[in-house]
Amino acid sequence: MSSDIFSQLVDAHYTPLYRFALSLTKNSSDAGDLTQQTFFIWAKQGHALRETAKAKSWLFTTLYREFLRGRRRAERVTALEDLGPAEADPPAPAVDVLTGMDANLVVEALQEVDEVYRGPLTLFYLQDFSYKEIAETIEVPIGTVMSRLSRGKAQLRSALARKEDGARNKVVSFQTHTARKLP
Amino acid sequence: MNNTEAKFILQGYRPSGADAADATFAAALDQARRDPGLQDWFSREQAFDAAMSAKLAEIAVPAGLREAILAGGRVTVSEHRTRWWQHPALMAAAACLAVAAVATLALFSHPAEAADDFSTLALRDTLYNKAHGGHGVEAGALQAFLMSPKMRVGESLPVDYAALRRSGCRTLNLDGREVLEICFRRDGTWFHCYIAQRTDFPEIRPGSSPALSEVKGAGVAAWSDSAHLYVVVTKSGESAIGKLL
Repeated sequence: MSSDIFSQLVDAHYTPLYRFALSLTKNSSDAGDLTQQTFFIWAKQGHALRETAKAKSWLFTTLYREFLRGRRRAERVTALEDLGPAEADPPAPAVDVLTGMDANLVVEALQEVDEVYRGPLTLFYLQDFSYKEIAETIEVPIGTVMSRLSRGKAQLRSALARKEDGARNKVVSFQTHTARKLP
Repeated sequence: MNNTEAKFILQGYRPSGADAADATFAAALDQARRDPGLQDWFSREQAFDAAMSAKLAEIAVPAGLREAILAGGRVTVSEHRTRWWQHPALMAAAACLAVAAVATLALFSHPAEAADDFSTLALRDTLYNKAHGGHGVEAGALQAFLMSPKMRVGESLPVDYAALRRSGCRTLNLDGREVLEICFRRDGTWFHCYIAQRTDFPEIRPGSSPALSEVKGAGVAAWSDSAHLYVVVTKSGESAIGKLL
């Protein structure tokens, strides 16, 4: 494999791969390690992939597999799949509030979504993947992707609302305290 | 299809509009057009999804990660090659792989590559990458401008680079330098507009008038204004791109 091709591959994909890894691992150090590990596997095995155009899908699938391999949580995943219907449109911050939230706080909310939903949800929000490509990447049927997106979004809305409440309460408390000091 | 089923399908529709041609969404989208309540829900859902995508795009990659990957990759490749040489029985297979590698390089190589990495990136992205699309409100506004049949494209464009990036516009990375992409359609033909900041590419000096070329059947136009470099690529050839200018 040419080092030029490897460099191009890294430049094209390492940023979204890292963001995907961050949503899965919940910390930047593990996300960086997982991203590197994925590219090193490519460096060893990527020559077997004849179509460079499929590299993106291969990289995301490999990263997800490596994450699951590390987690060894098959029972947990099965249990989550047995949950009842998703909550219908739970309360969430308005879009302008979401836009004003700190990106790290938003990612923290995303990381609170159950793992089984978080993977497809993050791929959806990276926007480089159609739901069909998400299904291929995480190796589940298309209907399962749709279902996980629906449940994942419901959990995300609830998590965002909690984060936003927490942030707002802190601001209110500070302002009230300051106001009382004024003559 | 009732509205619950339509919502189930539509929540998988990306706010970039990249799924517009996907037949799976057609019936649900049509239902949303006819049902104001469903349309209102869909608009809110799309706005929420676009805002989430924009937030995710704000997350910065740790400094040095790219360099660590590249350095580690070189070591891994080197080690891997050594192992191949140590197994003569696999030499025939290695020879086949070498032929494939040469063919791949030949496929990618064209005269413009040596002269201009930015336009090479744009060309490759258009030809070989399946995922495209400008995202966010800012990208939508620029996309609407570019789609307007009366607008001439090969001059200064209404670009707020920082706002595009903030709102979740698709970003490509070229040696650590950002390139934004907006896709648009005219008369049934898709075009991909790549935008970079001049300050990020001091070595490239395209003229203010568009330079046209055709590479592997793709039409390419490149030009600049005082702040930005632009490359527009279409798979439909030079004649298609000429109609934009």
